[in-house]
Amino acid sequence: MNRPTRRPRLTAPATAAVAAAVLSLGLAGCGASDSGSATSNTATGNGNAPAWCGSKKAVLGMTDGFGGNSWRLITTASAKEEAAKCPSITSFEYADGQGNTQKAIADVQGMVAKGVNALVVFPDAGEAMLPALRSAYKAGVVTVPYRVAPGGKPGVDYDVFVDTKFAADGRNWGEWIKKILPDGGNILFLSGPPGNSQGRDEAEGLRSVLGSDSRYTFIGEQPFEVTNWDPAETQKVLTSAISQNARIDVIVSDFGPSLVGALPVFEQSGRSIPAIAASDGNVLSCFWEDHKAKNPDFKLFTVSTQNDHSRLAVQHAVARATGGQVPASSTFPSLVFEDSTAEDKPVQCERDLPDDVYLSAEMSGADQAKVLK
Amino acid sequence: MTLQASERSVIDPGPRYRLSRGMLTVSAAVILLFVASAVVAPTSVDHSAFLGMLPFAAVLAIAAIGQTLVVQQGGIDLSVPGAVSLAVVVTTHQSAGDDGRLLGALALGLVVAIGFGVANGLLIGWRRLNPIVATLGTNALMYAVVLAISGGSPRRTTQLLREAAGGVTFGVPNSVYIGVVVVAVAAMVMKTTVGGRRFEAVGANPAAAAATGLPVMRYRAAAYIWAQILYWLAGVLLAGIIAQPTAFQGDSYLLPSVAAVVLGGTSLLGGRGFLVPTAIAAVFLSQLEQFVLALGVSFAIRTLVEAAALTVGVALYTVDWAALRHRFAGAAGRRTATTA
Repeated sequence: MNRPTRRPRLTAPATAAVAAAVLSLGLAGCGASDSGSATSNTATGNGNAPAWCGSKKAVLGMTDGFGGNSWRLITTASAKEEAAKCPSITSFEYADGQGNTQKAIADVQGMVAKGVNALVVFPDAGEAMLPALRSAYKAGVVTVPYRVAPGGKPGVDYDVFVDTKFAADGRNWGEWIKKILPDGGNILFLSGPPGNSQGRDEAEGLRSVLGSDSRYTFIGEQPFEVTNWDPAETQKVLTSAISQNARIDVIVSDFGPSLVGALPVFEQSGRSIPAIAASDGNVLSCFWEDHKAKNPDFKLFTVSTQNDHSRLAVQHAVARATGGQVPASSTFPSLVFEDSTAEDKPVQCERDLPDDVYLSAEMSGADQAKVLK
Repeated sequence: MTLQASERSVIDPGPRYRLSRGMLTVSAAVILLFVASAVVAPTSVDHSAFLGMLPFAAVLAIAAIGQTLVVQQGGIDLSVPGAVSLAVVVTTHQSAGDDGRLLGALALGLVVAIGFGVANGLLIGWRRLNPIVATLGTNALMYAVVLAISGGSPRRTTQLLREAAGGVTFGVPNSVYIGVVVVAVAAMVMKTTVGGRRFEAVGANPAAAAATGLPVMRYRAAAYIWAQILYWLAGVLLAGIIAQPTAFQGDSYLLPSVAAVVLGGTSLLGGRGFLVPTAIAAVFLSQLEQFVLALGVSFAIRTLVEAAALTVGVALYTVDWAALRHRFAGAAGRRTATTA
C-alpha cells in the first residue's frame, strides 16, 4: 500500500478525535458478513482510547437492512473496526436483514432481547423500521439509525439520526462542472430506482448550483435517468442517450463503478468519453487511467462513497452507551475524493486490488480486499 | 392464416416447412417495430443503438431458447434468474480477472449448470414434482451458491471474455454470431433429427409418446438440463458484455424469457416449439426497450408500454379471434365481411 498522500480526512470536529485514535486493523479480516456472529473485542486496558469512548462497559449491536454487496461489507467492517478502537465495547454483534424488512425488524428486536446496550441501524426500509427503532429506544437501548431517514424524532423514537446530505454531493458535482465547463454544457444525470430520495436530493443539489444558469442543460429524463444502479440497465440507458444527443459534456452518476461497462460505447461511436462526475470506486479510477489518453474530454471527479458513515454512527452510539464525549456533528460530510483536473486530489487506481474497493474509505484498500475475500 | 400456399407443392402437407403463425406474427411485429422506431425515434435504430441493443437481444434469445425447451415439455423454468446469475458469478469470481483462469472458470460453471439441470430433471421428470415449485426451489439454491461464492459483491470480467463476448467483428457484436449459431443449431436439431422430433412428440402428448415406447421421463429431464446449459451460456455472454456485472444480473431475465417464448408462439401447454420465432421475439423485446428509451418518456410509461406489448402479444395467440369476429359480425349485422 503505497498510495500518494490522501486528502485531509474527515474535517468535522467530531471526527478529529478519530484521527488521533489508535488504528486497530486486526479485525478487518473477520467475516463481517456472518449474520448474527459475535466477536469479542478483548478490552486492552485504556490508554489512548478516543474521546467518544467512555469507561462504562457496553455491548454494541449493528443491523443492516441489506448486507449483500461489497459496499455494505466494507461499511460494516468499518463500523466493526471503529468499535474496536474503544476498549469499553466488550462485544460487537451484527445481523443482516438480507433485503427482507420483516427480518430487519426481527433483527432489531433480537438485538434488544440479547441485551445490547447500543444499537446502530441501517434502516433500508425507511419508516417501516420506525416502530422497531422506537421499541428498542423505549427498552433503554441507545438507538442510532443512520444514512436512510426512518422518520420519527430524535429523543422520542431513537437517540439520534446520523444522516448525510446527498444534496451536498450534488453541489460538489455542480461546482466542478462549473469549473471545467465555464461556458455551459449538456449534463446527463444517472441515478438508481425511480424516485429514490438519494437521487432526488442529489439532483436538487446539482440544480442549486447550475439550475439558474441557462447555459447548462439537463438532458434525459428528469430529475434523473433511471438505472436501478444496475450495470446492464446503465449500459442501455447510456447507449440510448448517446444516440439521441450529439453532445453530452458531462455524465453525473451516484454509482460511478456502474458506468465502466457502458462508457466504451462512446469510443465505439467515435466520440470521446465525456467528463464524469460520480462517486468513487477503484474500477472507475483504473478505467480512467486506461482511457484518458485516447479520450481528450475524459476528466474524472469523484466524491467519497462514504463507507465511513458507519463510523460516525458507531461513535454516536458508543459515546452515549459508555459515557464518552458525544461527537458534535450528526451529519456525515460530503467529501471530494478525486479530481483529475486538480493537483492535490489525484485519481487513485490500485491495480492489484479488487475492483470494488473504495479507496476513499478510511480502511486501507488491502484490508478491504481481505473483507471481500 | 396459411399464406403462400400456392408456392408449396400440393403433395407436401407437412407442417415442417410451413411458416408458423408465431413466425408470421413475430416477424411482422419486429418489422412494424423497426419501422415505427425509424419514423418516431430515429436514434433508436442508428448504428450505436444497434450495437447497444443486439448483445442483450442475443443473451435473451439464448436464455429464451432454454425456456422454450422446458415449455415444450409442458413445464416452466423459474430458475432462469438464479442460473444466469450463477453463471455470471462463477465466470467472474473463479477467473478473478485473470485470462489464464477463464477456461477453468467456464468449465466449472458448465459443470455446475449441468448439475442443477440434472437436479431439476430428476425432480420434475422422474419424481413428477410441479415444475413451478421445483424450479423455484432450485432458483433459491442457486442464489445461495451465488451468495456463497460472491458475498454479493461484483467482479470485473476478464479482458479476454470482454473481447470475446463484448467485442465487435465486421461491425456486428460477437454475441450476435454466437446467438445465431445457438438458435440455428437448436432449431436444426429440433426439426431434423430423430431425437428432436421425438422430443416434440413427447411434449405434445406424453401419454401417446409413452404408448409408443418413448422414454418420456428422459426427454423431460433432458429439457431441463439443456435449458441450464443455455442459461449458462447466456450468463457467460452477459458477464462479457457487462464489464462489471453484479452478482444478481440474472434477475431481469425471468419475465422476458417467458415473454419471448409466448410471443414466439410456443404454447405454454407444451408441444411444438418455435425456436426461431422465439429468438426473433427476443430481438423484438430488446428493441422495444431501446425504442421506448429513445422516446425519452418517463420510466413509468416505459414500463407500461413494455407490459402492453406483452399483453397484445399474448392476446394474439390466446384469444379466439375468429369466434370474436363471428360474434361481433352477428351482433353488428353484416358490417365486417373482410378478413384481416
